[in-house]
Amino acid sequence: MSKPVLQIESLNKTYMLGKRPVQALNNLNLQVNQGEFIAIMGPSGSGKTTLLNIIGAIDKPTSGQVLLDGIDVGKMPENQLYKVRRDKMGFVFQTFNLLPYLNARENVELPMEGRGKSKSEQKKRASELLALVGLSGRENHRPQRLSAGEQQRVAIARALANNPAFILADEPTGNLDSQNKQEIIKLLANLNLTQGTTIIMVTHDSQAANHTERMLLLKDGKIVKEKEGLHLAKKNNKCPHCGNDIQISDSTCPSCKKPIYSSDEIFST
Amino acid sequence: MGIINRAIRNISRRKIRALLVIIALGFSMAIMVSIPAGVIANQQTSSAMASNLSNVISQTSDAINKTATQIDCSLASDLSGFGFAPPDNAGGGRPFGGGSPPAGFDPSQFGGGGTPGRFGGGAFGGGQANPMNESLYTDIDSTISGIAAVEPILQASEGSNATISFFGRTFTRLVTEYTIEGIPLTSNLVDNYNILPTNITAGRNLQAGESGVVLLSENNSAYFGVGVGDTVNILDHTFTVVGIHGSSSVSDRLTLYMNLSDAQTATNNTGYITSLRVFATSSDVVTQVATSISSLHSELTVTTDQTRLNQLQTLQSTYSAQLASAQESNSQTYATAVEEIVVVVVATSLIVLFVMLYTVKERTKEIGTLKAIGFSNLNVMSQFMLEGVLLSMIAGVVGIAIGSIAAPTISSLLLPSTGISGVIRISGLSVATLNPELILALFGAAVLLGTLGSLYPAWRAAKIRPAEAMKYE
Repeated sequence: MSKPVLQIESLNKTYMLGKRPVQALNNLNLQVNQGEFIAIMGPSGSGKTTLLNIIGAIDKPTSGQVLLDGIDVGKMPENQLYKVRRDKMGFVFQTFNLLPYLNARENVELPMEGRGKSKSEQKKRASELLALVGLSGRENHRPQRLSAGEQQRVAIARALANNPAFILADEPTGNLDSQNKQEIIKLLANLNLTQGTTIIMVTHDSQAANHTERMLLLKDGKIVKEKEGLHLAKKNNKCPHCGNDIQISDSTCPSCKKPIYSSDEIFST
Repeated sequence: MGIINRAIRNISRRKIRALLVIIALGFSMAIMVSIPAGVIANQQTSSAMASNLSNVISQTSDAINKTATQIDCSLASDLSGFGFAPPDNAGGGRPFGGGSPPAGFDPSQFGGGGTPGRFGGGAFGGGQANPMNESLYTDIDSTISGIAAVEPILQASEGSNATISFFGRTFTRLVTEYTIEGIPLTSNLVDNYNILPTNITAGRNLQAGESGVVLLSENNSAYFGVGVGDTVNILDHTFTVVGIHGSSSVSDRLTLYMNLSDAQTATNNTGYITSLRVFATSSDVVTQVATSISSLHSELTVTTDQTRLNQLQTLQSTYSAQLASAQESNSQTYATAVEEIVVVVVATSLIVLFVMLYTVKERTKEIGTLKAIGFSNLNVMSQFMLEGVLLSMIAGVVGIAIGSIAAPTISSLLLPSTGISGVIRISGLSVATLNPELILALFGAAVLLGTLGSLYPAWRAAKIRPAEAMKYE
């Protein structure tokens, strides 16, 4: 069994909306193990993004513990948190959030600044990462010359720049068509398998969620349901439908011929 | 991908906006640099004016002192304007020219650092004085009290006869080619009474006790074709040219100066003079001395220069008032300049402030993203400070470019003109120009104002929460 890299205990987060307090997270507990691929689902206002932000050290808990490798990031001072974000976290956003005036490679280099790497090292690493996400040869393209799917790949490469412990993805497929949606999910799943990066993904999309290994349903700031996803079987090179052996690269099971990426609804609302 | 590179790309990202901002900032910086340039130019001008005025005032004081004590004496003028042969010189026919009329004061002598004229010394062509016996000089000097000095003068014009037709009648008129002025080169007169021309353009002036030497006008020098150190033949007498004087008045233009006795010899007028200039011991006794001379020698026309004295005193008070007003207007200019610079500095900082605030607001999501992927507050702040400073520096270059062309126009539009007007014109007024110190100072100001103006926006940027990256509107 993998060791826990993230332990959240009795996490509360209260916002003030005008004069009205809103409890976004309510006594939430969660343990994430090294190398897990997790989906956080739930209706709007259930606290998904708040949870992701607190894990990513861009928001602070009202109370409770957020232990990252045993360190409580919730109690770290602001002038230290940027290092946690830079060195431990890789963010992927729904709207990609690439800097429009930088090309793909320069966007990927951004998080490496201030880490003491030489320019040539940064450049080499960025090119490698772009190759990893399938964008070799497009290093010098600016975002407006890339498709939505390609832009999200650049964003994923940027998230991987500093070899983070976590990739935190907020609705990464929210702005993509179904073809690109599947590509991005496959890419994340493959990165999880090949690089061993822990991925926590907030999504509305049950199809996307289904391809993680663990799905959490949030409601009113609490985890109300947990379910295994197809990725768990894939991690063991088994078909999630018939249990026979499959390859990582297969999209349909060689034995039962069922598509490995199905669109089954897993949570009823 | 460095921070500077990013700042440049961000500025060039919105070209029209950047251009407009740079033009606006550039103009305010041009104003910023043109005002001190104008102040410097104004100060140079007014200090030149002030020193000129001081000169004029001291010269006028001299003139007043002299005029106040000066009395001109000559025989009644022969207004025919024709030559006159002295009685004891039947064969000579050396015509006497130019009298010593009470010369009107010529204000033009006082412009542009001019030297005071030789008062009353000019041959004005207003008539020719009759010669009188030299003995008058000793007579007056010894019999009348209240006289400090007497300067006997012999003035003779040399020329040729020209025929002039006038309404069908023919006249013969003497056309003056040069005028000899003989003056006694005694050390008392030379040292204390400024009887010689003061504007020496070449060589030196005449000195006390000299003889056989001549001081030519520029006109004379050309007429005789000689220069300093040459010998010149005047009326069959040989003289050495010691210097050239620049004429300070029209009457002076043809006049050459020599020792009185030399002039008397050369013109065959030994023992004769054409006028006497009497210097009273003080201005209080002038009238009394003049009356005494008149009663003793009723044949003399005796003139005290009361009118000229009045003119001089009026001028003197005008100059003093102008000097005071120049100093007054100088300090006024300075105050205006300070006010304007404060306004333009504030305006420049505000332009930078608003532009950068707008940029920060517009790029909230980008800033949130940068912070979410690990940029520190300091990183973000320095990024925006650098953009502001860079924008300001580019505008500084534009401002220097505009200023180097338009500084005179801008400064004359914005600063009150230096306050001496009318009477005194100074050639070569200083023009506002950008010297290296000003250019350097403006560049420093550009960096400073860029820093100042983007400090608050950059701080705002640094305070943007990384969670802004997640707002998907």
